Amino acid sequence: MWSYAGRRILYAIPIAIGVTVICFGLVFLAPGDPMVSLLPPDASPADVAYLRKLYGFDQPIPIQYAKWLIRAVTGDLGTSLQTGRPVISEVSRALSNTIVISLGAVLLAFSLAFVLGTVAGYYAGRPADRALTAVSVVGVSVPNYWLGMVLIIVFSVELGVLPATGMGSAGSDTFSLFNWEQARYAILPVVTLSMVPLGIIMRNTRSAIAEVLANDFVQTLRAKGLGETMVVRHAVRNAFPQVLAVMGLQFGYLVGGSILIETIFTWPGTGFLLSKAILTRDIPVLQGAILVLAMCFVATNLAVDLLQTAIDPRIRRA
Amino acid sequence: MTDVTLSSGFAAPAVAAIKVRGYWGTVGYRLRYDYVTLFFLAVVLLIVLAAILAPLIAPFDPNKTSMVYRLKPIGFRDFRLGTDELGRDMLSRLIWGGRMSLLMGLVPVALATAIGGTLGVVAGFVGGWLNMLIMRTVDIFYAFPSVLLAIAVSGVMGGGMVNGLIALTLVFIPPLCRIAETATTQVRNLDFVEAARASGASNGSIIAHHVLGNVLAPVLIYASSLISVSVLLSAGLSFLGLGVEPPTPDWGLMLSTLRQAIYVQPLVCALPGAAIFITSLSLNLVSDGLRHAMDVRI
Amino acid sequence: MIGRSTKFVGWAKRPKAACPRVSEARSVVRSNAWARALRALSPPYGVAAALALAAAAVALPAHGETVLRVAMTAGDIPDWTGQPDQGFEGYRFVGWSLYDALVNWDLSRSDVEAPLTTGLAVKWGIDPANNKRWIFELRKGVKFHDGCDLDADLVVWNIQRLIDDKTPGFHPVQYARHRSRSINVDHAEKIDAGTVAIYTKTPDSFLPYNVSVWYMISKCAVEKANYDYAAYAKAPAGTGPYKFDRVVVRERLELVKNADYWDPKRVPRHDRLVLIPMPEATTRAAALIAGQVDFVEAPSPDTIPRLKSAGMQVITLPYPHNWHYQLNFVEPPFNDVRVRRAANHALNRAEMVEMLAGVAQEGYAIYPPNARLYGNPVKYEYDPAKATALLREAGCYPCPVTFAISTSGSGQMQPLPMNELVKAQLEAAGFKVKLDVMDWNTLLDVSFKGREKFPQYSGINISRATQDPPNGILRFVMKQQWGPAGGNWGWYFNQEIEDLVAEAMRTFDDELRDILMTKVHEVASREAVMLFVVHDLNPRAISPRVKGFVQAQSWFQDLTPITMAESAK
Repeated sequence: MWSYAGRRILYAIPIAIGVTVICFGLVFLAPGDPMVSLLPPDASPADVAYLRKLYGFDQPIPIQYAKWLIRAVTGDLGTSLQTGRPVISEVSRALSNTIVISLGAVLLAFSLAFVLGTVAGYYAGRPADRALTAVSVVGVSVPNYWLGMVLIIVFSVELGVLPATGMGSAGSDTFSLFNWEQARYAILPVVTLSMVPLGIIMRNTRSAIAEVLANDFVQTLRAKGLGETMVVRHAVRNAFPQVLAVMGLQFGYLVGGSILIETIFTWPGTGFLLSKAILTRDIPVLQGAILVLAMCFVATNLAVDLLQTAIDPRIRRA
Repeated sequence: MTDVTLSSGFAAPAVAAIKVRGYWGTVGYRLRYDYVTLFFLAVVLLIVLAAILAPLIAPFDPNKTSMVYRLKPIGFRDFRLGTDELGRDMLSRLIWGGRMSLLMGLVPVALATAIGGTLGVVAGFVGGWLNMLIMRTVDIFYAFPSVLLAIAVSGVMGGGMVNGLIALTLVFIPPLCRIAETATTQVRNLDFVEAARASGASNGSIIAHHVLGNVLAPVLIYASSLISVSVLLSAGLSFLGLGVEPPTPDWGLMLSTLRQAIYVQPLVCALPGAAIFITSLSLNLVSDGLRHAMDVRI
Repeated sequence: MIGRSTKFVGWAKRPKAACPRVSEARSVVRSNAWARALRALSPPYGVAAALALAAAAVALPAHGETVLRVAMTAGDIPDWTGQPDQGFEGYRFVGWSLYDALVNWDLSRSDVEAPLTTGLAVKWGIDPANNKRWIFELRKGVKFHDGCDLDADLVVWNIQRLIDDKTPGFHPVQYARHRSRSINVDHAEKIDAGTVAIYTKTPDSFLPYNVSVWYMISKCAVEKANYDYAAYAKAPAGTGPYKFDRVVVRERLELVKNADYWDPKRVPRHDRLVLIPMPEATTRAAALIAGQVDFVEAPSPDTIPRLKSAGMQVITLPYPHNWHYQLNFVEPPFNDVRVRRAANHALNRAEMVEMLAGVAQEGYAIYPPNARLYGNPVKYEYDPAKATALLREAGCYPCPVTFAISTSGSGQMQPLPMNELVKAQLEAAGFKVKLDVMDWNTLLDVSFKGREKFPQYSGINISRATQDPPNGILRFVMKQQWGPAGGNWGWYFNQEIEDLVAEAMRTFDDELRDILMTKVHEVASREAVMLFVVHDLNPRAISPRVKGFVQAQSWFQDLTPITMAESAK
């Protein structure tokens, strides 16, 4: 078990390095001059060159990469071109905000999806299953940015019961899960974000449960006189690790892919930070945010892998 | 008890001849009674047909603006589905937008299947260090959540249709490559491949005759499920302003520009989103149905 | 199988007693799992939650405090450490709240264009012996928010820190931002504790305009922060009507009233001002309707009926802004004045205003008609037949043109639908228009580099502030400003204008100078130096609780007279 864990962790290192190369190289695909966003339209070329030197954009690319990597490993991701604040503090702050809604969405999706998926798996092939599968397919197919807009119109503008944007009534540092007045800002984003994981987790649960229930030993259990609830519990326990893995992956996916929802709800998370950085060509923030998000994803995948192996020894990949 | 006499012509109970269908026959049989899949297959065909025949069936020019008829509701005079913020007919724009959306749905997946599939087959077949190289590179791209990668690549390249296509292709290559590689590796070690090699068949013919047959099914099924993802992602890119330029009709772009008018005609503004939803849903259901029918395990 | 009795006990569930260890183990595992889960969750989250609650207790306004919450179109909080970014909106909400300049703007009236007025200087004038030397007499008894006194040394430092890189506290980014204003300033000198002299490189009668956006920040505070602006940002100090209170990075900036402000008429009538960046128009409208903000900049025209029906006040006022196209005067076809006039005749500005639901004013010249320097320019009436005739005469029919436009941006209004309408109208007269859409920063890049680097564009669509003559006209028509050195993107050149401007800069009598500048404006219109489209009417949507706001005819606004009525929400 530990050698497997060790091997997996070691294996993640070249992946991480490859990720840094891509993050770094990504921004050089960009047209336009990053200095422009800092300067007024009539700044002279001398001023541009001066600023370029100040921020180190005039050196050859491999050297920039090496310097950047060394600093990144020690936690210094540079300072934002727009705000002058250290990137690491902006990104970590945004990340904790994103984790709030991602975790909420995945938990909401998981609790609903697991129950519905189990029911669907139990009644596999019958009308109930087909109806529930339809729900899961709907969840996966709906464009969640559209759903977010619809929810804002219905609940915020028409009914006025939930806030339309933002995180907390006086900014994100007043947000608190324990205070209903603040926590309600998270309701619409969480519900919107949970649609896709709902569909995916439900699909996985259904197939896992159906698979287990189709096994011969279940027939044996039933023949022995085990009650239906116990049988279902059996199936659930078997399916759980697999579904947990999917849930973990979905969480990682949401953290990295929440940009559209955060734009609509003005939720100050990493997606929002990223979209602003793209618009303003704030390269240090762009690189830092993509790097942190990708690393989170790698770490989540690794954690899910290890967790799955720990719980279910049947799963061993060479 | 049946009386069985062993002389010529024994009397056996009348048994209906069992029809032997073969693989594709089974698939067709399964599909014939899968009403849901058939229905949504019809929907997909309808959407594709509408997109192809757009110049013939769209009632108005999708780009013709008219300040007088701005933001009219559904069913207003000749404008069956209302008009947008510049007075253009929504129905025509939705039909033409279908072209763009289907294009952005199909092309990246097709390209990624070709590229990723080839890479995967090569990696699986050759094995060794080439396999390591290709699969590790693919793993690195796999380390990015797809939305993030698509937006990052498209965003830094400045948006636009071509950049969006490139970004989406890049996003879909890793999973397809992996599937192809797994399938190829499974086949590669089987006895009949060894036998073929022993009897002098060239690598090319081994691939063509044995490997591809095994690889095509899972790859194509997976690719078909990716089409709906591609439609959603490309609409998302357009929504963020990273897709096609206006005034090209495109569902994601329409959704984004109509957002401003959501207080005037909420129903009209919801139409592009509904179109994306229906397309994505139909593609998903069809791909699921095909997977069941072809009994492919991915 | 754990010692289960094989005796048949019926189809009912097995009693728990039969498998004590299993159920016991399960309950232990369950409680352990819960315990573990709770422990796993609580350290980071518990502490964070506790901190958040504590912060909430401290940060939420004290009971009874009146708060004005403003939603800005900016994408982020403007820089509050001196010269702001995010365009003039940064100056409007952050600059004028925290700081003053030597020369301020009088924003108290709606019926006239906002003029200059005294600020931290009570008197200024040109030295009769040397027309490159301006003398400013400082106001007495002004203190900064941190207690520092305003004196000549501090003023000189503030001027030098944005032009001389050897000055301690030189800020390279703010220097670059402020360049177009400081380019003609040579240096500043203290005459005595209450008087300062500013030297210009060439005689420049427009200096007061450039000084009017040059903020005075507290040298004591910057020194205390060891000339590190990131540290200064935590406790900035100016002389303005508001003091810095707290900031949530990228989300909100909170300012509180400065009860000791040197102009008692402008002490704010509310306790707290909260500035929130909200770049999306629908988000701003939704926030206003939902009661999350009280004052919203630039609601999109389509949301206005809804806002009005929700009880909001929507106010508009002509102000010195134009939404025009700057043209390329070197490459065809706009190098031919007939083609330029044709384009101007082809536009149906009334239709554009209708599409914008009335939040713009038809634009026929650089300045709107109520401007002081408007004069009597040629008016390009909507006449597509004349436009086509001019095109044929110029030998360009159909006439291909390419415009660079953006998807959004400060002052850009609703660029996509507006450009599409312009395209449709121009094409009806015989142009063939191609729109090259890019994001705001890329467009700024194009405008900064000048037509030389972008010969493929016949014009660029960038909104401009025309508040003061240097920014309003001069930078678009003078040779000295040919891009990339300045704002004359298309390299326009006209000797008549060069002569008029040179004379204006030497004329220190305001009235005489106005006459000259008006002539420049008229010549510019006659020569159709831009494709004139509309002037923004700068719509704002305000909650009914907001009382006392006077919208000034300026890019800047004064929020201090606002009082907040008791809420009905």
